[in-house]
Amino acid sequence: MDGVIFEKLKILSDSAKYDVSCATSGVDRTNVGRIGNACAAGICHSWTADGRCVSLLKVLFTNKCVYDCKYCVNRRSADVSRASFEPQELAALTMEFYRRNYIEGLFLSSAVEVSPDETAERIYRCLNMLREEYQFAGYIHAKIIPGVSPEIIHRIGMVADRLSVNIELPSQESLSRLAPQKKSGGIFRPMRQIEQTLAEQKTLKGAGNMGHFAHLGANIAAGDGSLTEMTSSQNPIAVKETGRKYAERFAPGGQSTQMIIGASPENDRQIIKTSESLYTTFKLKRVYFSAYIAISEAPELPARFTPPQLKREHRLYQADWLLRFYGFRADEILDERHPFLDTDLDPKIGWALRNIELFPIEVNKASLEELLRIPGVGTVSAMRIIRQRRISAVKYDDLKKMGVVLKRARFFFTCMGRYYGGKEPDPVYIKGIMLDAEGIRDNLTDKKSWQQISIFDNHLVENKAANNELSI
Amino acid sequence: MNYLYDNTFEGFLCCIYAHYYDEKADGVFPVSTYQEDMLISRCIIDTDEKKAGIVYEAIENKISKYDIKRVYTVFCSSIPGKETMLLRYISLGFHEGSKVGLLYGNPVVFNVLQIEKKVVSEIHRMCGLIRFSEMTRADAQNSRSILYAPMEPDHDITEFLAPHFCDRYKEDPFIIHDKRRNKALFAAAGEWYITDFSAGDVLMETDPETQYRKLWKEYFETVAIKERTNPKCQRRFMPARYWRNLTECC
Ligand code: SF4
Repeated sequence: MDGVIFEKLKILSDSAKYDVSCATSGVDRTNVGRIGNACAAGICHSWTADGRCVSLLKVLFTNKCVYDCKYCVNRRSADVSRASFEPQELAALTMEFYRRNYIEGLFLSSAVEVSPDETAERIYRCLNMLREEYQFAGYIHAKIIPGVSPEIIHRIGMVADRLSVNIELPSQESLSRLAPQKKSGGIFRPMRQIEQTLAEQKTLKGAGNMGHFAHLGANIAAGDGSLTEMTSSQNPIAVKETGRKYAERFAPGGQSTQMIIGASPENDRQIIKTSESLYTTFKLKRVYFSAYIAISEAPELPARFTPPQLKREHRLYQADWLLRFYGFRADEILDERHPFLDTDLDPKIGWALRNIELFPIEVNKASLEELLRIPGVGTVSAMRIIRQRRISAVKYDDLKKMGVVLKRARFFFTCMGRYYGGKEPDPVYIKGIMLDAEGIRDNLTDKKSWQQISIFDNHLVENKAANNELSI
Repeated sequence: MNYLYDNTFEGFLCCIYAHYYDEKADGVFPVSTYQEDMLISRCIIDTDEKKAGIVYEAIENKISKYDIKRVYTVFCSSIPGKETMLLRYISLGFHEGSKVGLLYGNPVVFNVLQIEKKVVSEIHRMCGLIRFSEMTRADAQNSRSILYAPMEPDHDITEFLAPHFCDRYKEDPFIIHDKRRNKALFAAAGEWYITDFSAGDVLMETDPETQYRKLWKEYFETVAIKERTNPKCQRRFMPARYWRNLTECC
């Protein structure tokens, strides 16, 4: 081994971490409460079917880019060190890291060197070598560069577990403004191709076809990390993942995409609506959000060193969770009059407070779908309530043991006819208490950065967010 | 009456046997750490494979297959008093049958489930947190290299790691060493066994190993995004007490 590989690894992992367009968010901090565990810090994460957290070797195959996307460190016009892996080098490196249990797999994205097809071909050679020569059985997430020919996409799909084509920005307008060489057709065509291949081999299971996108409650069981699988993950010795076996199949882990938050002026409602249509149109597994880190200077972009909108990203992830697991529709989460998520409040609470007439809900009578609407009741605790009810009525004291977060939930339910949230559900009163609780938490964490973010939010509103949702 | 057993799972099951066929037990304790109690008499129970087998099957058939796993998982925890909690859980189980695990409201069940959760989450965590190194024997030249991982888990989880890593390494032989309990898992080609082991230091890193460690550290330092660091979150997922055995932290 020589020093060259050190240098390459350094450059290409360094670019991968900043190049928001080409990598998932640095730390997937959202909703980790329920299913999160062992995450090696700071490395890209994704979830296996059983909810275990995976750390991946996240690198670019090359950063010698011929494109010039404004928000990207690796754009052609930027002055950075450049490198490319040889297929063999990266294959060997991945395998050796995997053997030492440093990583569960590879997250490979890339800049465009020479042309999309040229780069994709080299990526394919690397991945194929990893599977065939090294017999690598770990996880591979490959990013598809927009504009790659269908034939190469198919070959890469046969050796990767998951594919993603990044949508980059929440609207067409922003895309053509900030990433002029990327055409929305070049993004949606591969998405469509992947969806259709998955449908043909009957492995199309994503949040997108969990049914309740059309109607609440229909077929909640499909998709990874869904209700049934999450509850059965109580099974203690089930360490084994399902979606991970490399078995000559096209992208058994489905496809995902990523959107950059805060580089363009879209409001949260547009972002959530776009995610919803991505789920329904392409049956994606996940839409990832990534707060834009202001590293480059351009008049179209927020000023350099503007802090990333982490809190906004966090709320968007919570809203996304509501879409995927709780049977919410985008229009319920945010409507015309409320285009932004309240950064101080969990979106589920926000929704409940706007619809306070639906509450309180009696936990001993409510359907699963209704239980899931109660803030502080998660998918697992809702299932537990249903199961316990078959044996005997659920008592107030039982709820905490079932995992219900009472300090939030108590305002929204009755248990055996009794209400525990004071006199009656009063949105102003409840909101005050919730904000107090969040306020305490923020004091402990990083208050300053949240404040800066909220200033930035105002600036966005003043900018009069252009009202163009992505039509797909 | 307090029953004392010899620290083995079979011994513990024999205490359950005695609880049903002999005198009722107030508590069950490992003999090695038992603190004499003036008020309650005690009896050391002999371990008998046959009796243990009977109790094992009774739990499996009268409660559920799943519950025998649960009992074993909880037994492998390091929580003091686990045996007595299990005793209560098992007797409740003989009453309630397979639905015992759903009675979250009952403190007996709740406690057992909480411990189970702790152990299971440590197993999951360790699957990601142990680091293997390519080692050879320091005393023999040109000996074959083997993957070796030291760890110091809170609970006695070594054997729970076997299926995951056997699947991962297929042919490659490997050792997982619980330094706290001086035992190790030896595995190759899907076969494995656990034995007493304390001689981790006869092993020596190979040359490529040193290189890959450097590469990994380099990578690890590079990928931390400074704008997003969140040490509190990092620690929540990777408690400091595990750091000692991580390549990227030492
Ligand atoms: S294609 Fe665009 S986003 Fe990707 S590396 Fe090149 S400049 Fe950056």
